Amino acid sequence: MAANMYRVGDCVYFETSSTSPYQIRRIEELNKTPSGNVEAKVMCFYRRRDLPNPLIQLADKHQMAQSEDSPIAMKLKKICLKTPVGEEQAAQAVLDPALAAMEEESSELPGTDGLAPKQRHQAKHRELFLSRHVETLPATHIRGKCTVTLLNETESLLSYLNKDDAFFYCLVFDPSQKTLLADKGEIRVGSRYQTEVTNLLKEGEEDTRNSEELETLVWTPSHGLTDRQIDQFLVVSRSVGTFARALDCSSSVKQPSLHMSAAAASRDITLFHAMDTLHKSGYSIESALSSLVPASGPVLCRDEMEEWSASEANLFEEALDKYGKDFADIRQDFLPWKTLKNLVEYYYMWKTTDRYVQQKRVKAVEAESKLKQVYIPNYNKPNPALITSNSSSGKTAPAVLNGGTNGTATVSAGQLCASCQVTNSNQWYTWGPQHLQYRLCGTCWQYWKKYGGLKVKTAGVFGETEVEAAKGPRGEGEDTALSVSHRPHRCTVLNCAKEFKLRAHLARHVATAHGSGEGARPVMKTRAAFYLRASPFTRLARRLTRALRRPRHYARSPFSPINLQQVKHECSIAMAGLGGAELRAAGAAGGGSTGAAGAAAARAGVVAARLAAARGRRPARTPGRHDWLALTPRDRMPAPPHVAFPKPPKAPDGSLMYERVLSRAEIEARRAEAAPAQPLKRRAYDDINGLDRAGAREAGAAPPPAKRPNKHPAPMQRPSREQYAAMCARAQATGQPLPAHVFTHVNGKPTNISGRGGRRHVISWMDAPDDLYFRANENAKAARRNLSCGELRRARRGGRCAAAAGGAAALAASAAGACKPAAAAPLQLVILD
Amino acid sequence: MAMQPHSKKRVCYYYDSDIGNYYYGQGHPMKPHRIRMTHNLLLNYGLYRKMEIYRPHKATADEMTKFHSDDYIRFLRSIRPDNMSEYNKQMQRFNVGEDCPVFDGLYEFCQLSAGGSVAAAVKLNKQASEICINWGGGLHHAKKSEASGFCYVNDIVLGILELLKYHQRVLYIDIDVHHGDGVEEAFYTTDRVMTVSFHKYGEYFPGTGDLRDIGAGKGKYYAVNIPLRDGMDDDSYESIFVPIISKVMETFQPSAVVLQCGADSLTGDRLGCFNLTVRGHGRCVELVKRFGLPFLLVGGGGYTIRNVSRCWTYETSVALGVEIANELPYNDYFEYFGPDFKLHISPSNMSNQNTQEYLEKIKNRLFENLRMLPHAPGVQVQAIPEDAVNDESEDEDKVDKDERLPQSDKDKRITGDGELSDSEDEGEGGRRDNRSYRTPQPRKRPRLDKDGSQIKDEIKTEDNKDDVKNLSSVEEPKKEIPPNP
Repeated sequence: MAANMYRVGDCVYFETSSTSPYQIRRIEELNKTPSGNVEAKVMCFYRRRDLPNPLIQLADKHQMAQSEDSPIAMKLKKICLKTPVGEEQAAQAVLDPALAAMEEESSELPGTDGLAPKQRHQAKHRELFLSRHVETLPATHIRGKCTVTLLNETESLLSYLNKDDAFFYCLVFDPSQKTLLADKGEIRVGSRYQTEVTNLLKEGEEDTRNSEELETLVWTPSHGLTDRQIDQFLVVSRSVGTFARALDCSSSVKQPSLHMSAAAASRDITLFHAMDTLHKSGYSIESALSSLVPASGPVLCRDEMEEWSASEANLFEEALDKYGKDFADIRQDFLPWKTLKNLVEYYYMWKTTDRYVQQKRVKAVEAESKLKQVYIPNYNKPNPALITSNSSSGKTAPAVLNGGTNGTATVSAGQLCASCQVTNSNQWYTWGPQHLQYRLCGTCWQYWKKYGGLKVKTAGVFGETEVEAAKGPRGEGEDTALSVSHRPHRCTVLNCAKEFKLRAHLARHVATAHGSGEGARPVMKTRAAFYLRASPFTRLARRLTRALRRPRHYARSPFSPINLQQVKHECSIAMAGLGGAELRAAGAAGGGSTGAAGAAAARAGVVAARLAAARGRRPARTPGRHDWLALTPRDRMPAPPHVAFPKPPKAPDGSLMYERVLSRAEIEARRAEAAPAQPLKRRAYDDINGLDRAGAREAGAAPPPAKRPNKHPAPMQRPSREQYAAMCARAQATGQPLPAHVFTHVNGKPTNISGRGGRRHVISWMDAPDDLYFRANENAKAARRNLSCGELRRARRGGRCAAAAGGAAALAASAAGACKPAAAAPLQLVILD
Repeated sequence: MAMQPHSKKRVCYYYDSDIGNYYYGQGHPMKPHRIRMTHNLLLNYGLYRKMEIYRPHKATADEMTKFHSDDYIRFLRSIRPDNMSEYNKQMQRFNVGEDCPVFDGLYEFCQLSAGGSVAAAVKLNKQASEICINWGGGLHHAKKSEASGFCYVNDIVLGILELLKYHQRVLYIDIDVHHGDGVEEAFYTTDRVMTVSFHKYGEYFPGTGDLRDIGAGKGKYYAVNIPLRDGMDDDSYESIFVPIISKVMETFQPSAVVLQCGADSLTGDRLGCFNLTVRGHGRCVELVKRFGLPFLLVGGGGYTIRNVSRCWTYETSVALGVEIANELPYNDYFEYFGPDFKLHISPSNMSNQNTQEYLEKIKNRLFENLRMLPHAPGVQVQAIPEDAVNDESEDEDKVDKDERLPQSDKDKRITGDGELSDSEDEGEGGRRDNRSYRTPQPRKRPRLDKDGSQIKDEIKTEDNKDDVKNLSSVEEPKKEIPPNP
């Protein structure tokens, strides 16, 4: 299955959104993730439709400049080639009158002469723009291979059109700068670049070069020896070498066996030496032999491999492990008595040893995550845009709608393929913005996915150009995935403006970088409030065209479009037959035939009124039908007996004064203050340390004695709203943190702060659960106090569903479960674990 | 007695045993060690003993400034890893630092690489050899005062400058997967050097080498660029290489050729993206060799070093006209060549994005450009001092009369085909077809005993057959040229 085997270097289609065309990428790397999935590091190619318009125009002109050699073309060439061209410059260049003239000649891709308009249109789909932009995508999104080649001007575009999945590119697009660049180096001309060419020697002129100075002869084939004689001499020199090793003490230690000595004597260095000896002795075997065995004993040639002792070799391996192949460092720190050349030579010989092979094996295992190729089976799941036979092959779906009413089949456009206008196809796909209700036949859909356009330039009957249609969906939210890489999410916090590829990344960034800051606002809305208020006409239309409406059906399939045009048409026909009074009657709330819905609305109104009455407020007027939807004015809001999470006091300038998040030191100090008041067991450690610290603080004389814990009169009581405000104001004025008990009581769980471990969490807005708090009654509080700290913690880990034994424990568990949500109150709170 | 399809040439080979120990730095793909690996293979294949082996001198600053700017060479000479910080500005100016790091012995490395190519060029000039090889050279990206693409000193340009002393026109061919921009730029405005580069083009280093880059000024039409796409295989490569080079030989009529054998165009290269095998790569050497011109072979890129040394070993054997076994001989680096320990490699199944149609179009466009060349100057022979040299030098027994024809002889044999010629000065002005430029087919006759015994050892019969078949397919249209009188 070579077709489904994707290698590094292949150009492939990637599907990142079901409705938009494939993205074309080149695989740079294939990496196996720990989870076993394969991720592809890919380089992006951009389609024409992905580029801003001015750049496209410029690209076309650049191409023309390439094919012509007019002065204007040259000028343009310079603009384009020398520097990257930004969007604005491009727009300017396009406006240049001299260049504008060129545009009139043709706004088509160059090299399209002799192509039919349709082909010319299709050729545009084959043009890509290379970029240096690299991203990582899951390999499972690969949807097939394609080829992308640099367009050569000798080629006709037809050769690309005639081949499936063949694309070309001419220019490089930089998506971050929005610039175009020619992918072309330059041969420079000038005396600084060219050489002065030597002149031919004149006749009789002597060449000053003397070969003797330039080279030393080491071997010549013109000698009297036969091959056999040379081979014999080589054997002899190896034997001499073996014998020399036998005589040499250090060698005989290293090579205990004769075989090893012989092998060592057969290394290339001995052979090279033998050849040199032969040459030096004038290719006389006799004199060569005698120089092999001089008076000092047989000649011993050893290369680095043999020269190195075992301990040196070990050092080297150790060093290699530590420094890699940085031989200068290895030499300096491990083997200073060797030269760099020794090291390099040894290294390359060491690579032939088993030790290296083993290392390599280890490395190979490590490198296993880097794949060379990956098998991706054909993707068979139907595209969501495929019109399933349930709604009957697309062609008949609108027909049923039409037929169900008065049979004036006005909407017939949906039956044709928006591209090729055929009416028969095995498969149909919805295409384009939903309200336009375009359909594509199977082949055109494939074409759209692969080439990012329609086969023909205009979508005939729709009177809408393909470009608009094709660009349409990009504006709609559903297709944002198409341009993930070009439309980053930007942090909205002032002076930050960092960009993130994924929304989640942005959210995380906001939570971490800005989340703890004062001005933090939840960036993410948990759920958008949605309210559809129907206009009278809508309501009327709903009733008139009930046959078309089929509310149950559409409720079940919320994504299937409702043919609005048809509804309108139907409606206008029906309305034409009715008088004003009848219309009003039909539309009136609770009126006659359509009573059910109206009655429901009325009932809601009644309930709202009753609720309002129950709160002791008289409705200012008789409740209208939509009054229940109106927000209760702020001042009429029911006020709770006490405020669980009072708003912080206002500063003189009107801003809210939120409490500062405490530092660890402060918390510990506070813990020390609070500790004596806690009626909990297992406090010895805290006591001792707390006292020490309290003493230290006192010695520092920073806090007045009034701040001593025992001065807080009733630490167990929650401060009232006024008290709280006063405390905050005081804290603000004095620059002191709020007294501990203010915090202690926010959760209604005093053990929090004195709990040990003391790790602090700031709950980010994203992680915060729904606003929910548990209000403990006296019983609960009492029960809680009976539980030990450890039990509480265990119960909390068990969560709400913990089936703790005993009623008190269960109660405690739920209490503990609640304390975390409670902490998510608008105040930024410190939660101690 | 096995047939000997290759012609025998005197081959000089340049190597310094230090070159393998220069180290570009951790993680750097350029590894001079590959040159040493090649050298060891050559020894153990028994090719070593068939060549003249030279240790090149270290090129002096004076030699290097024949092309490079003085301050650039001065900079290279003085910079070391331990004083880099003092040269920040210059490093930027000369593009030394990232791709072209400062490493220990950088300058010596440049000296050896340049020294080899210069010495080789002088050797050819003196006609002391027909083919010179310097695998340590071929650093084709280096600019006049700028390092680039792992290259600091452009040994090729220095070598060509040397050749230009004796040769009116020098042809440079580049089969590295990267564009030979340094050499092209150096000779962009001259008509005495034609640079022909086959390379991957499009979103690839160094970004130059467009089909439309054809030279400037006097050098217009003297730069030939063949932009290729991923996945070039042996057949496609030959299908474009043969016609282009034949046409270039025909129209440009060089008297010496430099071939840069960058091995990063091989399949499986760490940086390359072609799909050539060692055989396909070596085929280019073979084809160029056939033209029988003084021939300088240099190395170049190549970043999967086991394949690089395989390739250059094979190409050395091609230059020598000796067949070598597919089984690799044991050598110090034998383990590098596992698991198969074979000389030849097989292509991968990557797709070839160069369609026949594309190659055909490129070829036609280049032919159009080559047609714009002025006809090769009237009396080619007179420009070349070889005539004079030929008389006195060359002891007759050293020259294999069967294989190598003196330039003058060859010129005499050239006959214009006349078909397309609109000028009357036949023999010079008219266009020639490819055939005239083929060297005489090696004749099948018993060789000297000495030669024969040498060859026998190395020849594998099946390889041989294979090769003969290949040969005949290409040589088919060859006109039989009468053996040398």
